Amino acid sequence: MSEKWRFLLTPDRTAFENMAIDWAVLKASSEGLIPPTVRFYTWKPSAISIGYFQSLEEEVDIDICKKLGVDYVRRITGGGAVYHEHELTYSIVIPESHPMIPGNILKSYGRICGALIKGLKHLEIHGKYAPINDILVNGRKISGNAQTRKSRTVLQHGTLLLDVDVDKMFSLLKVPSEKIRDKLISDVKQRVTSIKHVLGENISFDEVAGAMRTGFEEEFNVELVEGCLTETELMDSKRFEKDYFSSYEWNHRK
Amino acid sequence: MLVLDMRLKSVYKIPNGKLLKVFLDYDPEKNLIKKISITGDFFVYPEETVELIEKELRGIRVDKDVLLSKIKSIIEREGIEFIGLDAEGLVEGIMLCVA
Repeated sequence: MSEKWRFLLTPDRTAFENMAIDWAVLKASSEGLIPPTVRFYTWKPSAISIGYFQSLEEEVDIDICKKLGVDYVRRITGGGAVYHEHELTYSIVIPESHPMIPGNILKSYGRICGALIKGLKHLEIHGKYAPINDILVNGRKISGNAQTRKSRTVLQHGTLLLDVDVDKMFSLLKVPSEKIRDKLISDVKQRVTSIKHVLGENISFDEVAGAMRTGFEEEFNVELVEGCLTETELMDSKRFEKDYFSSYEWNHRK
Repeated sequence: MLVLDMRLKSVYKIPNGKLLKVFLDYDPEKNLIKKISITGDFFVYPEETVELIEKELRGIRVDKDVLLSKIKSIIEREGIEFIGLDAEGLVEGIMLCVA
């Protein structure tokens, strides 16, 4: 009989809630309170997340974000700035000591990305892991991923693009100079793709989520059992949201 | 007018790695780092050690060899793992600020 992991589906949360929930689940796992957990989520309103080490004002056009009602948040994971709009975002939280998780960080990126690649296969899309932290389809990026390890626990979260609006993305992100904006946008359009673009048609979030859920079950040989956040996780996530992710000090710390 | 400190910035693509952006408060008279902010889309494990590196680089001479041995000693002491960044790249980013 295969091991049972918890599965959470939490659509339409704010950027601050989403980042706080991931951290609360990480904390609960490190305290041995929960089984390994896979969560799928979306962002409402749409939002930019930046990597832990990035400078907010260097990467994000805050005035345009405010004008368009787009939130911005600093993650607890490294990596780059991401505009979260038409996508499935996942997170996985699991003890570092779990036999399914390689001790080597790069190898563990590959392993977890393997779940998404198996999921994509169910949509008849051939994805390939591209170190350090991307998944490519036909040489173009469809997924970006970021991992942290705290208190002997792994948190990896990442995106799977259902659709992409590169022009809108670059109106929200800072570019090195206005002179190269057009060139940069056309380059990125060549390097990024989405499920909609690959399949040539719209596909529902639910269908993608179903495929990805199966992908995780196959990659890790587990059964994902639908659950909900515990009281402790809810309390911690409220606290993290207030003290960190929605605070000026956290988001502007670099 | 005597310039006692300068705010400098560099952008450096780490070979086979990520984009490093260094912000440096620099004392040109003494050739010392007053304050440094190491930013970019790289990964560091554990993450908090970047703040430690920033703190320990204060007052250090902006010299390639001095910086490299200082950064390498912190990495070794703290068991830091860089992904998409390395000690040599970090030194290059700092040196570019004053180039």
